[in-house]
Amino acid sequence: MDQLRSVCRQAISENKAAFIIGYTEDKHHHLKPFIAHNVEETEKLTFNCNAVNNLAVFIHRFHNPSQGKIGIVLKPCDLKAINALVQENRVKREDLYVIGVNCSGVVKDQNKEFSKENTQIKCRSCASKTPAWFDVVVGESAEFELPEDDMAILMKQIDEMTPEQRLEFWNAEFEKCLKCYACREVCPMCYCEQCIADKTEPRWIESSSTTRANFTWNMIRAFHQAGRCIGCGECDRVCPADIPLSLLNRKMGMVAFKEFGYRHGTDMNAPTLIGTFSTSDHEEFIR
Amino acid sequence: MKLMKIEKGNLSKLMEHLKKDNFRVIGVTPDGKRFSEKFDETLNFMQSDTPPTSISFKEHFFLKTEALFYYKNNNGAIDLKEPVIDERKTVVIGARPCDTASLPILSKVFNWDYADDFFNRRVENSIIIGMKCNYQDDYCFCNEVGLSQNSEKGSDIFLIPDGDAFIAKTITDKGNKFIEEFAIFFEEYTGNPPAENKNGHDEKKFDYESVKKWLDNNFEHKFWDEAGETCLSCGQCAFVCPTCHCFDIVDEQCGTCAGVRAKNWDACQFSLFTKHASGHNPRDSREKRYRQRISHKFKYYNDKFSEILCTGCGRCSRGCPVSTDILELLEEIDQIAHSTTN
Amino acid sequence: MEEKFEPKIVAFVCNWCTYTGADLAGTSRLKQQPNARLIRVPCTGRIDPVFILKAFESGADGVLVSGCHPGDCHYNAGNFHARRRWIMFRELAEFTGIDSSRLHFSWVSASEGKKWVDVIDGVTETVRQKGPFDQYRKMARNIELPIMEEEGVEI
Ligand code: SF4
Ligand code: SF4
Ligand code: SF4
Ligand code: SF4
Ligand code: SF4
Repeated sequence: MDQLRSVCRQAISENKAAFIIGYTEDKHHHLKPFIAHNVEETEKLTFNCNAVNNLAVFIHRFHNPSQGKIGIVLKPCDLKAINALVQENRVKREDLYVIGVNCSGVVKDQNKEFSKENTQIKCRSCASKTPAWFDVVVGESAEFELPEDDMAILMKQIDEMTPEQRLEFWNAEFEKCLKCYACREVCPMCYCEQCIADKTEPRWIESSSTTRANFTWNMIRAFHQAGRCIGCGECDRVCPADIPLSLLNRKMGMVAFKEFGYRHGTDMNAPTLIGTFSTSDHEEFIR
Repeated sequence: MKLMKIEKGNLSKLMEHLKKDNFRVIGVTPDGKRFSEKFDETLNFMQSDTPPTSISFKEHFFLKTEALFYYKNNNGAIDLKEPVIDERKTVVIGARPCDTASLPILSKVFNWDYADDFFNRRVENSIIIGMKCNYQDDYCFCNEVGLSQNSEKGSDIFLIPDGDAFIAKTITDKGNKFIEEFAIFFEEYTGNPPAENKNGHDEKKFDYESVKKWLDNNFEHKFWDEAGETCLSCGQCAFVCPTCHCFDIVDEQCGTCAGVRAKNWDACQFSLFTKHASGHNPRDSREKRYRQRISHKFKYYNDKFSEILCTGCGRCSRGCPVSTDILELLEEIDQIAHSTTN
Repeated sequence: MEEKFEPKIVAFVCNWCTYTGADLAGTSRLKQQPNARLIRVPCTGRIDPVFILKAFESGADGVLVSGCHPGDCHYNAGNFHARRRWIMFRELAEFTGIDSSRLHFSWVSASEGKKWVDVIDGVTETVRQKGPFDQYRKMARNIELPIMEEEGVEI
């Protein structure tokens, strides 16, 4: 990825960005997030099908407009997070220097080669493999074959269940939750200064990890992501208990689209879904 | 120490028998991720060359959430009630040396100034059947922390694969008694005694002693800024770790005038972990918190209890969302330590 | 001896319309089912879905959320915001097994004492048909059950 490195080198040396949030390769040949603070460090940057992380999450930590622009390497899907954050007034477009990459899919398991089976779930429903906008773009995107979207299959199965079966299904899933909140920390859209789960007066979400409290936690997080989740799949990836969290978020996204024709993170100038309303929102369910 | 032999088939039968006998039997789930009572009954996990589970078995001894007592307002007086703990005898099967070793390590902190009855009762009630490990990837470092793939630390019975059977080595009295009680499932072992438990390889990925010495003197060092720079404070590393043992105590309401005091897992990587009521937070950055993680494991715990608070299982690194590799950091410290002394 | 199941209903109502409407029902001596516990909040816009889950956590078999008709909100748009949230939350609840027979919504104005009675009777009857929400309460099983039993929260 010489092209990426030269673009980043230029960005820093020409003062287009103060530093670059990108990926570097570790000794296991996995890619991990890496912050290049100066021209020398840009030599360590790289990109390939192991670039699973959504780097947008780091914006919250390093966002300090007085220090200059943040340079950030983004896949087309991760770029949606930036759109969404601009929509929510969290960052300004002009505070960022976006290095878009044309993507050919990323792997599910970094220990294995990229293959039809070894692709992230999100890639299976990916609409665009080239970034919608950028300051500079690198790489080539190639077509690749995709297996069936197993989340969609699972979603269908749940849709066909009775309410009791559904509750039982989620019960079994949430029983496994450890309340580590990794799902929250890794999410580019979970940036509250104080999360509702950490509030103690009153304590809305019990910190104990009973199935019931886990249920409340995951429901509330899903609701806070309703129409906000950009579908990067990071929460799924990091959950140590392997709970299919993005099913909930995806469901909410589908409802947002069905009811309001709304897709979060596709247009940075659009008003947000929950922050606005229409007097003609449907209400046949209200007595 | 006694050597016996048990056929794979008999091992499954033994587990079935124990379940019927009202034992709590804990093995590895079919996906190989976790220890659970709902384990894979085919005992497929008894292959020693697969990766360790992603979540350690500590959740069955030190619960992710546990009631300490219940309280109830009884017309102005407070009634207290003891929690009921699962007193069934427990058998853990399929644990590797990097799991079993955690129990004696944890036992030190749980019996230091206050004896944690919950933890102790669970451990006393359990037979830990450890197993020799034949897996090793570049996240593992049991050798470097004084253990090995043959380490029997923490096991009551240690199984060594031998063709289609296992050599069962009893380590403790509890293990001995267990094998006597269930003798019909075991046979005499007549072969050669398995190779002596040799502690570790000769070639080490890092030298613990020099890492420790470096940690003793380098609380402030630019290494820490880099080590924790991309950490997300997600705490996943602590929750999957067999030796992390921090907890938080909370009161929670049940119903209208009663409640429970519960002990829940906590992690030093969380930003709230050290936050004072005043609002001051002595470990306010991820870099400081990451320093705490390494220092607690490889320095403070050793200073206090003469044990390393890590079994080298590599779980934290395999699962870390930003691929922070604890082994890589320790190797780096080792290098810095050497380059400054030489 | 089989006792008839009496559901516990928690009703979150806004101060300006539904609460006043329920009050009117009372002062007009209209007969209504006594199963609902009313929780008065300033506006439906204040009703965070976490309240609904808290109600179920605390043993509710059904929840009703009610406020001013669209256009009547004391704060102009609180109920419009709420409505949009409900559209989303309902689907989430449905997807996780809290179906629409347990979670109800209504608009009841300050003058609609009669409508309040109809709503509360209807909700109570639906939930009664559905039965106790044991499945939800049992999720607390690991640590809270003993005290809930003692507390008389039926499991
Ligand atoms: S909720 Fe999950 S999938 Fe959605 S934006 Fe957050 S991390 Fe990504
Ligand atoms: S779960 Fe909700 S309150 Fe918590 S950080 Fe995410 S959006 Fe904020
Ligand atoms: S990442 Fe998974 S285990 Fe951790 S809090 Fe989220 S749902 Fe629970
Ligand atoms: S798992 Fe990784 S990112 Fe999460 S707290 Fe641990 S070191 Fe930090
Ligand atoms: S710190 Fe990491 S390697 Fe050490 S015992 Fe814990 S999970 Fe295993």
